[in-house]
Amino acid sequence: MSMTEDPRVMIQFGFLLCLTGLLVAPLISATMRRSTSARRADAAFIIGSLLIGAAVGAAVLWHGEAADLDLSRLAPFALALKVDRLSAFFFFLICTVSAPVTLFSIPYAQQHYSEGRATWFWVLLPLFVLSMVVVVTAATGFAFLFGWELMTLLSAALILLEGDSDDRRHNAFIYLLMMHVGAAAVAACFFLFLGQASNLTFEAMRSAGASLTANVRVWVFVTAMFGFGMKSGIVPLHLWLPRAHPIAPTPVSALMSGVMLKTAVYGLVRITFDLLGGPAGWTGYVVLLVGAVTAVLGILYALGEHDLKRLLAYSSVENIGLIYVALGAAMLFAATGLPTLAALAVIAALLHALNHAFFKSLLFLGAGAIHHSTHTLDIENLGGLQRRIPVVGVSCLIGCCAIAGLPVFNGFVGEWLMFKSLLAGGELHAIGGLPVLPLMIGVVGLVSGLSAACFVNVYGISFLGRPRTPQAHHADHTPRAMQVALVFLASGCVLLGIWPGLVLRPLLSLVAIIIPGAGTPSELQLISHVLPVLAGSMVALLLASLALPRVKRLTDTWACGLPELSPRMEYTASSFSKPIRSVFAFVYRSDRKIEVTPAEEPYFPQAMSYRSARTTSFEKSFYRPLVDTVIAAAQQLRRLQTGNVQVYLLYIFLTLVCLLFLLRFSR
Amino acid sequence: MKLALNFVQVALLLLTAPLLRGIVAKLKARIQRRKGSPVWRPYAEIWKLLRKEQLLPRDASGIFQLGPIVAFVTTLLAAAFVPVFQNTALFGGAGDIFIFVYLFALGRFFVSLTALDPGSSFGGMGASREALVAALSEAPLLLALTALAILAKTSSIAEITAWTVGQNFFDVSAVHALALAAVAIVAVAETGRLPVDNPTTHLELTMIHEAMVLECSGPSLAFIEWSQALKLNIVAALIMALFLPWGIATRLTPAALALGLAWFVSKIGFMALLLAFVESSVAKLRMYAVPNFLQVASALAILAVIFTAVMKR
Repeated sequence: MSMTEDPRVMIQFGFLLCLTGLLVAPLISATMRRSTSARRADAAFIIGSLLIGAAVGAAVLWHGEAADLDLSRLAPFALALKVDRLSAFFFFLICTVSAPVTLFSIPYAQQHYSEGRATWFWVLLPLFVLSMVVVVTAATGFAFLFGWELMTLLSAALILLEGDSDDRRHNAFIYLLMMHVGAAAVAACFFLFLGQASNLTFEAMRSAGASLTANVRVWVFVTAMFGFGMKSGIVPLHLWLPRAHPIAPTPVSALMSGVMLKTAVYGLVRITFDLLGGPAGWTGYVVLLVGAVTAVLGILYALGEHDLKRLLAYSSVENIGLIYVALGAAMLFAATGLPTLAALAVIAALLHALNHAFFKSLLFLGAGAIHHSTHTLDIENLGGLQRRIPVVGVSCLIGCCAIAGLPVFNGFVGEWLMFKSLLAGGELHAIGGLPVLPLMIGVVGLVSGLSAACFVNVYGISFLGRPRTPQAHHADHTPRAMQVALVFLASGCVLLGIWPGLVLRPLLSLVAIIIPGAGTPSELQLISHVLPVLAGSMVALLLASLALPRVKRLTDTWACGLPELSPRMEYTASSFSKPIRSVFAFVYRSDRKIEVTPAEEPYFPQAMSYRSARTTSFEKSFYRPLVDTVIAAAQQLRRLQTGNVQVYLLYIFLTLVCLLFLLRFSR
Repeated sequence: MKLALNFVQVALLLLTAPLLRGIVAKLKARIQRRKGSPVWRPYAEIWKLLRKEQLLPRDASGIFQLGPIVAFVTTLLAAAFVPVFQNTALFGGAGDIFIFVYLFALGRFFVSLTALDPGSSFGGMGASREALVAALSEAPLLLALTALAILAKTSSIAEITAWTVGQNFFDVSAVHALALAAVAIVAVAETGRLPVDNPTTHLELTMIHEAMVLECSGPSLAFIEWSQALKLNIVAALIMALFLPWGIATRLTPAALALGLAWFVSKIGFMALLLAFVESSVAKLRMYAVPNFLQVASALAILAVIFTAVMKR
């Protein structure tokens, strides 16, 4: 074997090893002895496979040597996988984030599941990760759809594993329903290529992409946008996110939100930039607009929540919106012949996807750790956790800073690149008349200001102040495995925030393939140089200021002369977000009811009750009528089903006649 | 030489910050026919606070001590982005408007956490209001700066200044006027001055920034006060650098530098007078009128960005 072939063989071997590992792990957990040490060994096996996968992803991203695997002969359809640079990036993302999540799952599964369920959990988890890997590495439409469907089913199974109630079933049903409607759209999108392509391998689709008629291209985009939008939760298709995430097991929520949503981003990039051979200008505007609406509404809904997991789910909606904004800008640039700027915007989108995977899974796992320690996820019941579980606290603080897009944490880099590419859109007046892209800076600015408010709220109310309930007061110790997982993800957030060059350079070689003619945007160089300097001087100044000698004395918080403050006097998450919610009241439209008894004496009440419920306006004014229409149509269709054999025979006969007619006249 | 000058600029902003505060207070007092305290008093206050003991609420965590320092450090770093009397800055070409805005955001994030840490309702109240003001002022600030960046074809503050100096004073575009109005409104909100917030209020229920730092004492309070004063100085220097840079030294000769410094002093003196006059003549807005005030800034900033397309140079 010569030296030049060495990396290729290693990559290929590693890829196979990772896939085999993820496939064998469930078999091991299903068959082995059910002891704690055996579980740990099994988890270690999964983590090992994932780390190999991450290394393979990084190697492909760096070298560009593709790994592939063709199983078409073993499968009834064309099942081939190929890791090119774009796939490698998402493959890397999946593996790197899934590894700490798996580690976190060890104590989680131990605490939450009986033996039988734990076995199921350890069977389903690696398969779920594997299904996502299949989606992003698929080289044929069938392999993609196969992975896509498995991903939905396995995550739904994991949701139902957590427990069983009518409510849970209902939410899981909505999840499955929406995912399948989305999957149908994705399938339709692939099949639209069949007019020109002889088969559904990506290679054939790619060469057919350019020769598709304008009409078909429109439909390809619309179905892709709808299908992938459903998965990634763009408004108004986001309905499943705040329903499915809170009921899923915490590690699975972390994977669904941090990783699974990104497969949809992958799909959209693959279709529009790669397979279609470049987007049209108007699609850029559509994606941009959808992204902006999604981002603003997502973060506003998040601000209105105080259930930690629902809040994080809505914040995922927001971040997906930001990714779409960057993608939309990229499409506009690509369509107007500015490949270097398009490259910058795509890099911003992909980097934000990676960053979001890190900080969102960090925060979901943090929520899991909080739940482990306090048995509640309602922020209003927490408080004072920083002193009780400091490792979780510091990790979550890093996560909150990162998600709020503050500098020297990774979230900032993505948002900065987004700002720069939108600013460069000032050169684009020729096509729009209005400087749409620079105006988007205002939207992104509003969103990041709101998300800073949202995450001050999250961290400040749950980790700072005095504990609001006994559970928070007696918060338990967090297991070591959970702490390690959190610290790993948090250090990822810091590392990518200070040395973004680590991923920016490989990302540049990635986009050079999907956007032909792209040069090197100077912004990448700039940010990779500025951030280390900024972080260095910040740390130096912080240490210098901390070194100042201080005389300290412990006192009580000032209580306006009262003997003591009770935790009920503290600000809560709802009161914190109240000013913002009242400014944006038109978004929330909450139903409030104040009942005063007795009603005839409103000024001297004996009892008052206050109730405020929020349903998003989409549920009321969009989904409810839609569902009602579908059900009404189904009721009408029921008339066909008489249960009478003769009638069914008539149906068969009529169908036959129709088909014959069709055959006769279609010639 | 240039590097040394850039450090001098940062030091100048840092060290004259309490003075500017003292001058504004003095001018306000004079306008209101009071005698007022000496202009050097803020220095004495900071010096006193730095040596005093620090009271730590029993329920507070490490964030309570870290927050004020982060606020101070981020503000100090932001000072390195702004040209003062000569048209470069320490962070120069890399000193980007977006990093600048987000450094302030980082400081504010940590001050808000400091406010929430002792578990007092005043802290929560202040942090919650600050969150609203901050969330609504970030977009207009970014948009106004974007408008300038589009015209100057660079997003570095120092380079925008250098570009603007080359333009004719009487050729000030509509974009600049609109952006200046927007930035001025945001600057009032950002530095916690009237009519958004009253820095001298003694009534907790009307406070924003002062309610957040109610529990801070000793060195922590010194850092907070100093960073707040520095912020005022930076924002004043930023407005001058972006909108009225004429007079700034473009060559490194002693004469040019001296002239630049003189211009800086006279311009900032004028701004202090303006601020004192405005603060003496307007009343504080109701909390729920503040969003409307900031929406005016947003509208102006949006118009500024739209105008860049219309009056493409």
